[in-house]
Formats: sequence, structure tokens, C-alpha cells
Amino acid sequence: MSNELTDAIVGMREDDALAIVGRELDSGIAPTVVLDEAKEAMSVLGKRFECGDAFIPELIMGGEIMKGISELVKPHLRGPGDAAKRGVVVIGTVRGDIHDIGKDVVVLMLDVNGYEVHDLGVDVPTQAFVDAIGQFKPQVVGLSGLLTLAFDSMKATVDAIAAAGLRDRVKIMVGGAPADRQVQDYTGADGWGSDVAAALNLTAQWTGGEA
Amino acid sequence: MAATGEELYKQREQRFNDIVALKRPDRVPVIPLVSHYFPTKIKGVSNRDAGFDHELRLRCLREATVEFGWDFVPATGLFGSDGYEAVGSLQLRWPGGDLPDDAPFQFVEGEYLKAEEYGQFLADPSGTTLSTIFPRIASGLEGLGMVPPLYFLSNMYYLQAVGGGLLAAPPVRAALQALLALGDAAAAGAAADAAHTQDAATQGYPKTWAAPIIPAFDVVSDTFRSLRGSTLDMYRHPEELLQTIDLMQVPTVALAVQAARMFGNPRIFIPMHRGAGGFMSDEQFERFYWPTFKGLVETLIDQGLIPMPLFEGDYTPRLKYLAELPAGKVAGHFDKIDRQKFKEILGDRMCFWGNVAPSLLCTGTPQQVKDDVKELIDLFGDTGALILDSGLGVPDEARPENMRALREAAEKYGVF
Repeated sequence: MSNELTDAIVGMREDDALAIVGRELDSGIAPTVVLDEAKEAMSVLGKRFECGDAFIPELIMGGEIMKGISELVKPHLRGPGDAAKRGVVVIGTVRGDIHDIGKDVVVLMLDVNGYEVHDLGVDVPTQAFVDAIGQFKPQVVGLSGLLTLAFDSMKATVDAIAAAGLRDRVKIMVGGAPADRQVQDYTGADGWGSDVAAALNLTAQWTGGEA
Repeated sequence: MAATGEELYKQREQRFNDIVALKRPDRVPVIPLVSHYFPTKIKGVSNRDAGFDHELRLRCLREATVEFGWDFVPATGLFGSDGYEAVGSLQLRWPGGDLPDDAPFQFVEGEYLKAEEYGQFLADPSGTTLSTIFPRIASGLEGLGMVPPLYFLSNMYYLQAVGGGLLAAPPVRAALQALLALGDAAAAGAAADAAHTQDAATQGYPKTWAAPIIPAFDVVSDTFRSLRGSTLDMYRHPEELLQTIDLMQVPTVALAVQAARMFGNPRIFIPMHRGAGGFMSDEQFERFYWPTFKGLVETLIDQGLIPMPLFEGDYTPRLKYLAELPAGKVAGHFDKIDRQKFKEILGDRMCFWGNVAPSLLCTGTPQQVKDDVKELIDLFGDTGALILDSGLGVPDEARPENMRALREAAEKYGVF
């Protein structure tokens, strides 16, 4: 484990992080090992965020550094080299709402934390969630929204999942700035969160792992 | 004898001013900071129609103000779908445009100015706005992309030859027509609003605020660079970001003062987005957000105006900064915040407005709403520095019985 790389990413030193990765690849360190190091750094950022020691900018900038590292590593990967995924998540912004900033940060962090994430986008019809559950067999479904109209769309989506006979197969989290326990109860979801840490925690809990 | 509209207007304005100045009022008022579709929705008017029929929308708003016992008639933020339609807005989408009739208007964040364009923008902000940003935020303004830097046309030779040629080009003419249509829509909207404001005043209701003024950081982050863009700028282009924020500060402050004078309303709404807890560290907040926001608030106060910041998101981690603002001068409106902590840190410096959860008003019961109001009045009743509202103005989907409960609870628990 290269503490140097972790430190550079956690310290938001983009140029240093990319230079270290270049050096490690040149010296023959396996590309999957380099990627794992970088992901470890992102998970440190996630934990810091949860403790209130890091904020959204670190997650966004960390994600950006990860993107740069992936570009450097890609030519060195022979096979797909995918590690086993920790779980499957289907996520989207519910019908009528086209906001995606919060959802995108959650998608990024779930991805770097090793989950297989299927992002259905924004203004997602209830049926699209039902179809995606059939197709991807997720353990977790994330319903995102910023507007108050999202409460009814979230409820309609949870109801549609139940009507399709899929409710027992998934855990559902509702998220976004206005989400709270009240919204969870109203929509019939299993959990709620207003930030990315909550989404990571719920997902870890529901896929049998640790955050 | 019943009070006249004029007397009621004065009483209500005085009550508000007293609360802001931390003087104990006679009772706790309910004042929604903003209102979008709630008043029309409950009358069965579609969001689409609300965006185009200004008289209808504003009549519904006055009726809701009376029906739900609000002290002020709320101003309505970004209405005027006719204006968006006139220019083919891409940045703000509206019901009946490419959003369904029952959707609210929604803002599309994007990098309308790219990071590599900072240099161009800082060298020629007006020209870059005209020929680069306008075509990106509105499809009808695409032709403006043909316009060269205007300073190049600053003599009659080039104005006649180059400028004249441009003005003959169909895409440029179409863009200018679109801008004129925007002006027509704005004039119609302003006339309807002036008549409405007068009607409301005659009935005894002051209007909440003269104009919404976006803090300089949020102008850059929300409207030019997006959250992602401005976040990366803090690391990759901090100096350019700061220069752009400073550039925005001058017209931001000037517009606020001018709007207050023009509308004869001292209250200025300041919707805040990216300064909330979680969105940046204290160090970043101190460097990028706080100086221009504080400067705006202090200038407004110096000019005898009342800043009404909407602290959107959770500002609990920023309370220590808010304590630097002059006491008794700011009408602070809060979305999510730790009430107890506010009371401890700012209770003797700033009134407390808002904070009833939108989720509660949309999905809760009247009793839950009353319980929440009672909790607020129990906490702030000692000074009376409290104005009731949801965290973000009236939610579009609020249940009418919950909005009634808000007022009933204010009457039951909040008469001093």
C-alpha cells in the first residue's frame, strides 16, 4: 500500500497523485493494485465526510482525481479485471424532478466503494424502476429528489415496486435535500438520507457489509 | 371599528420590523418567504397556466394570503414562462415548455462557462456573456454567437461595415427579435405585478421583498460553472474563481440597492445555496463565500435596507460566522438548522424565520404541524423574535389543512 498515493489523493494534490500513479505503473506495480490504492483513498474521504472532517468538494475533487487515475491505468489492464462487486444498486431521480447533483455524488461514491451502480438518470418513470429491478436484481434501490413533488413520485414508485411483487427483494432508500423520516414513512421506504454518507451507510448495511 | 387596509399594512410592516429589530411583537406572524404554485394548485390551475397567466396567478396568491392568514403577500420568484419561451430558455425549463404541465419550473445546472474560458471571460466579461454564454442558455439567442467583441465596432467604419452586416444576418435578427419578445413579456409581467402589489397593499398586505439577489459566489456556481465546476475551480483555478466572484459583486450590490429604491420596498431576498454546511470546509467558506456575502449584507444595512437571506440547506455549522453580522438588522430565514443551537448562539442577535419542514407540511397531519409550531414558540416565545414559515416558503404540495394549522397554532400559542 502506497501511503504516498493515499496522502496525495486525500490531500487533494491532483498533480502529485497522477505523477505517483505514473511512477508506480512504470516500476511494474500491478494496475489493479494501483487502482485499489486509489479506491482506498476515496473510502478514507468517504469516512472523513461522514465524520464531518471532509465535505462535498473533497468527494467531487477526489472523484475527478480517480477519473484521471483510471485513464492512466486503463492501457495497462489486460482483462476486464473487475473485482467482485459488493452489491448492486439501482438509483434515479424520480418522476417530475430533473435534479441530479446529489444523486450523481451518491453514484460516484457508491461506484468507488465497489458497488455495481445502475443510474437511471432523472425524471424516471415508476415503471423504469420496476423494469430495472427485474433486469439488474439489485439489493438496494435509491430514489432521489429535490422538489416536494418528489414525495408523491417516490411513494408511487414504492407502490409500483410492491404491485409488481418485487418489494421483498429490495431495500429502498429515499434521498435528497428534503428527505427525512417523515418522507420515509410517507413513501413506505426502508430508509432515508439527506447526504451521501447516509446513502453509503444504508447500502453497506443492506448488502451485509461495513460502511 | 375595523382597521382600514392602510392601518393593517402599517401594523403588519411594523410587526415585522420589530421582530427583525428584536423588539417583542404583539404576536407571532406567518409569512411565507416565497410562494410558487401552492396558491394556484389549490384552485385547480395547472402549473403551465400559472406560468403564463400572470393576473390569474397573482389573484390566487392574494386569495391564499387572506385565506391562510399570512401577514405579508409573498413575492413569487422566477415566474414568467412567457419570458423563457420568448428566448427558448435552455437553462431554466418550464411547465408547458419541455416539462409537463404539472411540473414546476426547474433550473438546469451546467458549465455554461467552461474552465478554459475563464481567461476570455475575465478579459471581456460582457462580450463573452453576449456571444458565448447567451447562446448556451437560450436556443433563440444562438445567432449572438456571430457577434464579435463589441469594442471592435467602436468606430463608425466598423459599425457600419461589420455591425451593419451582422444586423442584416437572419440568425442575429432572430436573436434580437427574441430579446425584444423577452422585453415585452417582462413588461407585461411587471405591469401585472405592479397592479397586484397595489391591490395587496390596499387590502393591507405588504409584499415580502423587492427583488431576489443571488450572492456572487452562487451566481458563479449556480449559473456559470455548476456545483462540480466551481468545486473543481476551488482546487484548479482558485484565482480565476475569486476574480470572477469579485467581478460579480459590484453589480450584485448595485442591483440590490437599485431594486429596493425602484420598488419602494426595503426588503431584499438573498437565496443562498453553496455556502451551506457540507458544501465546503470552513477554510473554503472563509475564502470563497463569506467575504462577498457579508459585504452584500453590510452594504444593504448601511443603505437602510433589510437583508432577508434564505439560509438554504443546513447552516448550523456556519452559525459562528452569522454571529459576525450586525444584530437586529437581518431577517434570517432558515431551511434546516438546529433550533437549539441557533437560540444559544444567535438568539439575541437575529430573528428566527422558517424551519418548519416542507415534508411535514406536504405529508404530515395538522396536529403534527401544530406541535412543531408550539415547539418553536416555546423556544423563541421569550423574545418573540420568530416568524413562522416552512424552511423554503410554501411548498407547492403543502396540504391546505396543514397551512391552516400553521396559522391556527400561531394564534393559539403565539399571542403575547
